[in-house]
Amino acid sequence: MVLCAAFSVNFGDDTTDSYWLLRTKSEFVDPVGVLDNWSPRTSLCTWYGVTCSDDQTHVMGLNLSGSGLSGAISPEFSRLTSLQTFDLSSNFLSGLIPPELGQLQNLRELLLYSNSLSSNVPAEIGLLKNLQVLRIGDNMLTGQVNANVGNLTELRVLGLAYCQLNGSIPAEIGNLKHLQSLDLQKNSLSGLIPQEISGCIELQNFAASNNRLEGRIPASIGKLESLQILNLANNSLSGSIPIELGFLSNLKYLNLAGNRLNGEIPSELNQLVQLERLDLSKNSLSGTINIVNTHLKNIEVLVLSDNSLTGSTPRDLCIPNSSLHQLFLARNNLSGNFPLGLLNCSWLQELDLSDNNFVGVLPSGLDKLENLTDLLLNNNSFSGTIPLEIGNMSNLMTFYLFGNMITGSIPVEIGKLQRLSVLYLYDNQISGTIPRELTNCSSLTAIDFFGNHLKGSIPATIGKLKNLVFLLLRQNELSGSIPPSLGYCTKLQNLVLADNRLSGTLPPTFRFLSELFLITLYNNSFEGPLPESISLLKNLSIINFSHNRFSGSIFPLSGSNSLSRLDLTNNSFSGPIPSELAMSRNLTRLRLAYNFLNGPIPPELGKLTELNFLDLSFNNFTGELAPELSNCRKLGHLLLKNNRFSGTVPPWLGSLRELGELDLSYNIFNGTVPTELGNCSRLLKLSLDSNYLSGDIPPELGNLNSLNVLNLQRNNLSGSIPLTFQQCKKLYELRLSQNLLTGSIPPGLGTLSELQVILDLSENLLSGEIPWSLGNVVKLERLNLSFNQLTGEIPQSLGKLSSLHRLNLSNNHLHGQLPPTFSGFPLSSFLGNEKLCGPPLIPCSESKGQERKWLSNTAVAWIIVAIVFTSTMICLVLIYIMLRIWCTWRKISISSSDNEDLGNNRGEEKWDFEDEVRNCDDWNMNTMALVPSQDKQIFAFSCSK
Amino acid sequence: MASPSLFSFFLLPILLSLSPTLSTNSEGNALHSLRSRLSDPTNILQSWDPTLVNPCTWFHVTCDSNNHVVRLDLANSNISGSLGPELGELKHLQYLELYRNNFGGKIPMELGNLKNLISMDLYANRFEGKIPKSFAKLKSLRFLRLNDNKLTGSIPRELTTLSNLKVFDVSNNDLCGTIPVDGPFGSFPMESYENNRLSGPELKGLVPYDFGC
Repeated sequence: MVLCAAFSVNFGDDTTDSYWLLRTKSEFVDPVGVLDNWSPRTSLCTWYGVTCSDDQTHVMGLNLSGSGLSGAISPEFSRLTSLQTFDLSSNFLSGLIPPELGQLQNLRELLLYSNSLSSNVPAEIGLLKNLQVLRIGDNMLTGQVNANVGNLTELRVLGLAYCQLNGSIPAEIGNLKHLQSLDLQKNSLSGLIPQEISGCIELQNFAASNNRLEGRIPASIGKLESLQILNLANNSLSGSIPIELGFLSNLKYLNLAGNRLNGEIPSELNQLVQLERLDLSKNSLSGTINIVNTHLKNIEVLVLSDNSLTGSTPRDLCIPNSSLHQLFLARNNLSGNFPLGLLNCSWLQELDLSDNNFVGVLPSGLDKLENLTDLLLNNNSFSGTIPLEIGNMSNLMTFYLFGNMITGSIPVEIGKLQRLSVLYLYDNQISGTIPRELTNCSSLTAIDFFGNHLKGSIPATIGKLKNLVFLLLRQNELSGSIPPSLGYCTKLQNLVLADNRLSGTLPPTFRFLSELFLITLYNNSFEGPLPESISLLKNLSIINFSHNRFSGSIFPLSGSNSLSRLDLTNNSFSGPIPSELAMSRNLTRLRLAYNFLNGPIPPELGKLTELNFLDLSFNNFTGELAPELSNCRKLGHLLLKNNRFSGTVPPWLGSLRELGELDLSYNIFNGTVPTELGNCSRLLKLSLDSNYLSGDIPPELGNLNSLNVLNLQRNNLSGSIPLTFQQCKKLYELRLSQNLLTGSIPPGLGTLSELQVILDLSENLLSGEIPWSLGNVVKLERLNLSFNQLTGEIPQSLGKLSSLHRLNLSNNHLHGQLPPTFSGFPLSSFLGNEKLCGPPLIPCSESKGQERKWLSNTAVAWIIVAIVFTSTMICLVLIYIMLRIWCTWRKISISSSDNEDLGNNRGEEKWDFEDEVRNCDDWNMNTMALVPSQDKQIFAFSCSK
Repeated sequence: MASPSLFSFFLLPILLSLSPTLSTNSEGNALHSLRSRLSDPTNILQSWDPTLVNPCTWFHVTCDSNNHVVRLDLANSNISGSLGPELGELKHLQYLELYRNNFGGKIPMELGNLKNLISMDLYANRFEGKIPKSFAKLKSLRFLRLNDNKLTGSIPRELTTLSNLKVFDVSNNDLCGTIPVDGPFGSFPMESYENNRLSGPELKGLVPYDFGC
């Protein structure tokens, strides 16, 4: 003070407060002009925000709060030595807090909160010995809380919340004997809460939530007898809740949510008779709930969700006329029946018991909770029916009952709930019909009845629900047609009626559903053409009509240009693909398989650059693949199976680098397999079978090192099997049968150690010996080399194929002795190789000499005829017997049907018997079947073994 | 296939009418929660979109005509993480091919619920703990390859009831006790047991089967 006085003497007029204020003004940016009257021509004391001393010469207070100021705080403010209150809060000030402010020795209140001040809190603030209120939060302050804050012994309010302060809370804070409010929320403070905090004996509000505080809550907090608010939520505090908190007899608000607290809730908390809000949620608290309303008479909000609490809820959690408004016990392990004691909570507005283990029926007295707006009982094991009294809960807005075992029907009384907005009953066993009265609930915005047993039709009056946004009735047993009035639910966005027994056509009123975003009707029996007016629905994004009987054109679905997924699989749609579909540039999935669509793929689909899944299989499409489709660079699945696509397999397919599955089988493609396909390095399944492809198999296919399945069978491919195939190390299925392949089997195929499902090279012109290396493909389950011109002996290494259960080497020129382990395979596996011997064929000693061989050939022919004849007879008899047996003991046929074993069986006789029956049935089936399968034919003979 | 065809002609419609709610996406949910446990550095599970009606169009998943998952191929993909009980939900699974990855942790006993499983290939991973006894419930199982892991404990005797088992390979683990001789175990080659702490074939009545464990 002496020093300041000396200054004022030396600098004369220049040292007046008005001089310094004008200098500080130049640092502000003042877009509103609040400081316009700060001028030498007017009296200091009339200046905006200024409070003068009695003698009109000194500024005692400066309040520029909320004045739209930006710019910086001038260090020159330190010259206003008489200043007692200094308020620059709620502006847009940036820059530093000037350290010079530490010179304002008379300052009592420093309010700089809600600005954009940055950098550290200057240590000089600790010099302000008279400071009572320091509020500088809601800035971008960084650094630590300086220990010398403990020098501010007059401090009442310390506000440092909403900054980026780090470090720990200094223990010196305990020196602040007069501190009433300490707000440190939303910083990055770490370390322990100092137990010295108990020194702040006048503290009423301690908020340190949303920091990184750790360790235990110091028991010494229990000494803060004046404390009314204690908020330590969302830290990393651990250990148990100190019982000393029970001494805080003035506490009204206690929030310890979002920590790592464990142990039981101390019953001492029941001593907090003033407590209004208690939140202990999101911890690891265990044990039973022992909070009782008989003590906590003032409790209004009780949140214990997201812990590991067990047991039932206490009977006296609520006393009559309790003030409890909100009770959240969700996501614990609570058990027992619905807590009847809660029915006393007549003021209760929100009750959340979800995700616990509650059982039993819902009490009929539920309607005593007449003020309840939100009732969340989902994901428990409640059973029984929905009480009729629900209709009396006239304030109910949200009712979650999903994920329980509720039975019975939806009570008609529910129609009285005029405020009901959200009704989720999904995943229960509710039966009966959807009551027509439900459509009286005019506030309903969301209905989800998924996964129940609701029967009957959708109420014809559904259109009364003008506010309905979500209607989910999936997976029930609903029948009948969609009521035309549904079209009047004009706010509807999601309509999910899939997996029901609905039928009929879509009503033309659908054109009014202009908000409709998602509509799924799959697995119903809808039929007929789509109303053309559906094309007016411009917001449609997800459509799934698959597995119905819709017919006619799909053009009405091409009106929206917001489509992202369109699935019409397995209907009776006909006509071409409308090129307008290409307007939906975000279309990712287009599935039109199993319809009667025809014409070519419109070249416009090439504009669908987001397209990932294109399935046009099993239709009548024709024409060549338009080169424009090469622009669909994100295609992962291209499935064109079973159509009449023609022309060559386009080389541009090789540019689709995301392609994982390419199926062009059963078309009339001709020409060669393009070498470019070898560029599709992510390809997992490549099926070009049953076309008219010719020429060599390109060696580049060997570059497909992710490939799992390669199917080129039933073409006219010639040349030899590329040696490069051995690079496809992930192949588990390789089919090259029914081509014109020549040369020998590359020994490199033996290195494909993951080959598992089948290696089928049958019906080609392959020659040479079976490579020894094939014996290394130990996971192989089926090997078919039949109908080739293979010579030499069967390598003994094949005997090591322990996984093999179907083998066909028939109709080659093999000779010599079979590996001993082959004795279990049927005769048919080896027929047509004149010089093979050993079990199951004739022993090798008998096969010597031309005459015997010739004789044995005819003998074999006769034997086959005889075998086929007798086995047919046996089979017929056995089938008859089986039918009889089956009719008598159904259970037997269920258990045996689990076993699909068709291979050689070394098991007990019982199993052999069954196998024979099945194999014969196979044979019977095949004689009548339209498409005899190669595999089944092999085993047609196995009855005769 | 006499009984299956009779089954499908007469019994199946009855069963279907009894349980109409067969089409929940429980298999998709199971696979999705499997994915959430895994680290997938090569992004092979990118296509696993849980918002689809079923998982049948996800890469590395194969379904039958009823949209049930019958095959899961995650082999050779540098995947790490552990398996969870949810895999037991894939009731129709026939092929579980998870070989040559970095899967760790225990083999969940819930895999024993996969009653249609034909092949379980978990070889060349980092699985630890015991071979679940529940595998004895896998009555369709033909191929069980658990080799090149870190499995411990003995070979559960319950597995001798797996009459369809053709291939059993536990080589290169840390198993102990003796080698079963009953049931299909009479026919497996010694290579299937190499590099363990197994002490030769079971000598019934003389030495406990878990001798040396």
